[in-house]
Amino acid sequence: MKSKEKEYAEDYTLQELLVVSAAREIRDREVAFIGVGIPLLGALVAKLTHAPDVILTVESGCIGPTPYRLMLGIGDNSCGENAICVSPLWRAFSDQQRGYFDLGMLGGAQVDKYGNLNSTAIFAGGDYHTPRTRLPGSGGANDIAVSAKRTLIMMNQQKRRFLEKVDYNTSPGYLDGPGSREKYGFPGNGPAVIISNMAIFRFDETTKEAYLDSVHPGVSADDVRKEVTWDLKVSPDLKTTEPPTKEQVKIIRILDSQQIYTGGGLKKLTFDAYIKMLDSSYEQLKSMFA
Amino acid sequence: MSAEDTKKSLDKRMSLKEAVSKFVFDGCAIAFSGMGGQQVVAPTYEIVRQGQKNLTLMGDSPCEVGDYLVGTGQIKRLEVAWLAFAVAGVSPNYRRAVEKGIPQKIEVCEFSNYTMGLRFLAGALNVPFMPTKSLMGSSLEQYNDMIKVIDDPYKGEKVALVPAAIPDVAIVHVNRADKLGNAQFLGFASNADNIARAAKRTIITCEEIVSTDEIRKIPVLTNIPQYVVDAVVEVPYGSHPWNMSYAYAYDMPFHMGMMAEIETEEGFKKWLDEWAFGCKDHEDYCEKVGWNRLRKLTQIERKFCKSIV
Repeated sequence: MKSKEKEYAEDYTLQELLVVSAAREIRDREVAFIGVGIPLLGALVAKLTHAPDVILTVESGCIGPTPYRLMLGIGDNSCGENAICVSPLWRAFSDQQRGYFDLGMLGGAQVDKYGNLNSTAIFAGGDYHTPRTRLPGSGGANDIAVSAKRTLIMMNQQKRRFLEKVDYNTSPGYLDGPGSREKYGFPGNGPAVIISNMAIFRFDETTKEAYLDSVHPGVSADDVRKEVTWDLKVSPDLKTTEPPTKEQVKIIRILDSQQIYTGGGLKKLTFDAYIKMLDSSYEQLKSMFA
Repeated sequence: MSAEDTKKSLDKRMSLKEAVSKFVFDGCAIAFSGMGGQQVVAPTYEIVRQGQKNLTLMGDSPCEVGDYLVGTGQIKRLEVAWLAFAVAGVSPNYRRAVEKGIPQKIEVCEFSNYTMGLRFLAGALNVPFMPTKSLMGSSLEQYNDMIKVIDDPYKGEKVALVPAAIPDVAIVHVNRADKLGNAQFLGFASNADNIARAAKRTIITCEEIVSTDEIRKIPVLTNIPQYVVDAVVEVPYGSHPWNMSYAYAYDMPFHMGMMAEIETEEGFKKWLDEWAFGCKDHEDYCEKVGWNRLRKLTQIERKFCKSIV
């Protein structure tokens, strides 16, 4: 929006850094398919800062909303608020399969070096039919992984989550490596970036393996290596993740004043505080979007 | 009464109790509207009260309807893409059933949201399957025999096929409908238009029954025409605690309270004793939630989204 010198925030949380890192992957005028949680907040931050003409899309089929509140899910009323189009679910996903969606956002419980994602089941000694931990399943994730032009993956950085091979491949990344996606003629090009709570990974164009591209402030490459199972390659010009700007932090705190996505606010949320949050975000965002 | 007769009725209004007992039967395949929000909650409680068993749930991403009916042991088979409570949390009853066989083991047959949408579209088109580029190469394909990967007979490229879904009964919650069953969403319909058309019997629940003249004012809003519909039930706040577009906001604090309760098996039973069996019908449920609370959710929603109707 403004081309003036960036003023970085001195006081910000890790969650806020993640929101902003996700937001920065969104380019203006793109069509971005957004999932629940930090991506929904990141997408709105992008729209209010560097990407005013991004078209946000969600799985319920709502396209291009400009909501005056935090989006509390992919079928929240906010998804249709000031939208340019509300279409059936199958139609929105068909538009994606047709190739209209530039970016898809995904998350999961396990990721492997080829960016394959598991959001279905952690076997841990069991199997698919009797896993240690049953997770929600694909939802639209498989479709996004196959058809969005590129995908962004958000993950918690833990050794048991960054694996050589996922227990169950819900959402294909580069499958077994170079040439695998081409075998199936997937419309999308696969994962572009993994954002974790410690670092940012990108994918090598030749090997299709995820490598360490950037570490968050205070984190070293060795710290990250300890939380990855495969032999992690590190970029020769390893960066430190860019901190949020003052403007971005301000917007996050308006949108998520009750820290639903950026803190433990969800479990403590009272009805009165909730209604008040909606009310005040309406007033503040209306003036910002207008 | 045959399907033809009920679909041709000129007044399909009935109580929720009557509609559920008439059309939801032991062993049936059942589907519901909703995606993220707009979940079909009031009919879920009614099915819990009536206790129909051995159900096959066909759905994209069910919440209460999947988790509760798995927890009560009423579902024997799931054909879904996802089951959880979105931002509120994971699905405790689903986890208990799959991980520990509590209250019973269930069959799980997994698709994605898009491909469940295509299955309902195939059902609505009266064709046997739909092709897609999704699912191939993933574990969904590997573990689910209903997904077939073939060589496209025209170009020879690989393509996945998913079979038509034809539920015995669909329950679709809309903003408004007339007594004939013409059903209008003001917000998103998700897969509801195809779910309703694919099913053999379709129950429309709505926030408000309106006159046919009112429907005729904006006919483009009619996602589901009367000839698809067998029953019409007025169920205001039928999606609570979820949101309904242009009607009321998400009652997130209520949902978080519920999530804390149903985390354990005992807590879930207690929750149902209070909110399903402790209420004789949906009006009783609303009374218990508090009309004042519900009205506040409507008031705040109207601030954000002003309806054209």
